[in-house]
Amino acid sequence: MSSNSSRHAIKISRRALIGGAGGVVLASATASEFGMPYIRSAAASDPIKIGMIYAKTGAVADQAEYMAQGSLLALEARKNSLLGRQAEVIWLDEPTSQAAQQNAERLIGEHKVVGIVGGSLSPSALAISAVVKKAKLPFVAPNAGAIDLTGRLCNKYTFRLQPPADVHTRVLAPYCAGLGKKWYLITAAFAFGQDIKRSFTEFAAANGITIVGADEVPVNTADYSSFILKIRAAKPDVVVGGVPGSDISTFLKQWNELGMKGKIPFAEIAVGATDLWGVGPEAADGLFTLNWYHKNPNNPPEEQAMAASYEQKYKRPAADKAWMGWMAMNAMLDSIEAAKTTEPGAIVNALENWSVQRGGVKAGYRAFDHQMVNRLLVVGIKPKITDKWDYFDILAETPSTDREIETVFGSQAQSACKMDKL
Amino acid sequence: MFDMIVSQAVNGLVLGFLYVLIAVGLSVIFGMLGIVNFAHGAFFAIGAYLALTLSREFGWAAALVAPTITGLIGVIVEVALIRRLYGKEPLLGLILTFALALFAEAILRLVFGAAPLPFSPPKFLSGFVEYGPILITKYRIAVLVVTVFALIAFWSFLRYTPFGRIIRAGSRDAEMVGLLGINLPIALSSVFGIGCLLAGLAGMLAGPLWTVNPSMAAGAIMPAFVIVTIGGLGSYAGAIIAGVLVGVVTSMTIQFHPDWSSAAMYILMAIILLVRPRGLFGEKWERFE
Repeated sequence: MSSNSSRHAIKISRRALIGGAGGVVLASATASEFGMPYIRSAAASDPIKIGMIYAKTGAVADQAEYMAQGSLLALEARKNSLLGRQAEVIWLDEPTSQAAQQNAERLIGEHKVVGIVGGSLSPSALAISAVVKKAKLPFVAPNAGAIDLTGRLCNKYTFRLQPPADVHTRVLAPYCAGLGKKWYLITAAFAFGQDIKRSFTEFAAANGITIVGADEVPVNTADYSSFILKIRAAKPDVVVGGVPGSDISTFLKQWNELGMKGKIPFAEIAVGATDLWGVGPEAADGLFTLNWYHKNPNNPPEEQAMAASYEQKYKRPAADKAWMGWMAMNAMLDSIEAAKTTEPGAIVNALENWSVQRGGVKAGYRAFDHQMVNRLLVVGIKPKITDKWDYFDILAETPSTDREIETVFGSQAQSACKMDKL
Repeated sequence: MFDMIVSQAVNGLVLGFLYVLIAVGLSVIFGMLGIVNFAHGAFFAIGAYLALTLSREFGWAAALVAPTITGLIGVIVEVALIRRLYGKEPLLGLILTFALALFAEAILRLVFGAAPLPFSPPKFLSGFVEYGPILITKYRIAVLVVTVFALIAFWSFLRYTPFGRIIRAGSRDAEMVGLLGINLPIALSSVFGIGCLLAGLAGMLAGPLWTVNPSMAAGAIMPAFVIVTIGGLGSYAGAIIAGVLVGVVTSMTIQFHPDWSSAAMYILMAIILLVRPRGLFGEKWERFE
């Protein structure tokens, strides 16, 4: 058998072998110098790894997909390079908050990431925050809105882009009050939904508004018709929602189906544009706060460039969640570059000093609670939707100047955060 | 308050019938084939996506083909994968169908994207009917009518056709049916296909009511399992009664204790299993003992 095999083996002369080996060496050297310079630097040191935890399945998977794409775009704009080294993203799932916690531990222990971006829902972000606090690693949460993340449970390593529920409430509640003095609250039974309920209830109590009903609904509720029948019977002036992800799409579809669209105004904070796109033009209705809108003419030039790159690459407009993922990852990457090292403490210091000018507001993370201060949009559904990607009329941009920031975001004295040290 | 109770009871009844349609397919597949089909929700989602795509391209009438295509996909899956599990360790079926559910969700995400897609009822079924305290939409009435018709048609098929008799006999004693010279594999493929067709029909009907997204299966599969368990594994009548019960109990819980609404059906299941461990109409099946 062996002799038979050797008879059919390809014969290579010693001269051809040496020549071939020399060619491979020369080609590698040429490639590293001209075509692929990162090969040499990658060989000199391991790539810099950034951890990303976004839902790949479940009710917020669509929002998470946009956030992940925005985050990846931020790194691609730097040609996947940081501090002169190759950089890469490791993306893990967050099917539950327990899984988010385990995946954060995996990213840190197994993949040796230098920072984490992600946490699509508040329970996941809170779980990741607890892990990074222990591991002393920077973490930027783009989407989680629970007050505690940069409030009572704040820590030196956690930064958050999404304004918490009480900030959104301060922006939207006056508009709701303008529509009527009897409110019905329908909020999801998890951290963010409960914050919305608390914030709007406090606003109502302070402004002479009556809460005629308040229901907490389970996440992933498939049928809201029984809730809508209760709302209809209570005859409120406004319905304030607090249901996340695709749940709001389901709610609004059934709201329209039961003939409520246009009869009782609906309002909700911190929605995603994709949730409304999923409702369809016939059923879309309401007044909302959004972090960003791709059709906003006041977007800074670099954000317009990002939106154009996104649309070119993914063949659809950049939703607000894509911007949030991009912004969060950009803050992390800018801070690593500014720190000139991957040492966590230096990155945290750089994140505290990171800022970008957005219109009249300097957006950045406050040192005392690591909450990003930024402008928010109040939007309403267009009376007639003709473009499937353009559902909103922008009614206001708040805060519009740095002086208004404290009014909207609250002061250090109002914050429950007791910031720890590095 | 009485008005609200009546209103919620009627609403729960309609919702319950949609649950029944999802659960009956699952019950039939278990009863006839002995397979606990975790991928049943995936066929529900496939039905919704097919209906949405067909209605967009060719109008709502074309969406009516979606359940049949879902059934055919089911037949292919049965021939390619499921039939290898007959008579084997039940755990293998659970693992395979669970993997199939994840695979189907991933495919839907890849093809249609993760974002929810808009899907509205046909124009002639928009609007609602009000009768005293009862408010019900025309589309939900249509769902109720189609469901009742589908359930009667399927029951008649099993009861009165020779093929239905073969299926029923095969579910009790497959070996004896084979010894009589009947081609049982074709019958079993048909059963799986019919189960998937019913799931696809439920998906088509639920698409305009719920949100069409790749993870919509999750909203269907858990109530379906609860209904099948309450009704008694493999019991057709049990699934119908349990579905209506779950719908009404969920609606009533929303009226009086909304934060318990998702737990209500599990509590109902626990109570019924304490009283009747095989479910309402569960029988002793030799092959599953």
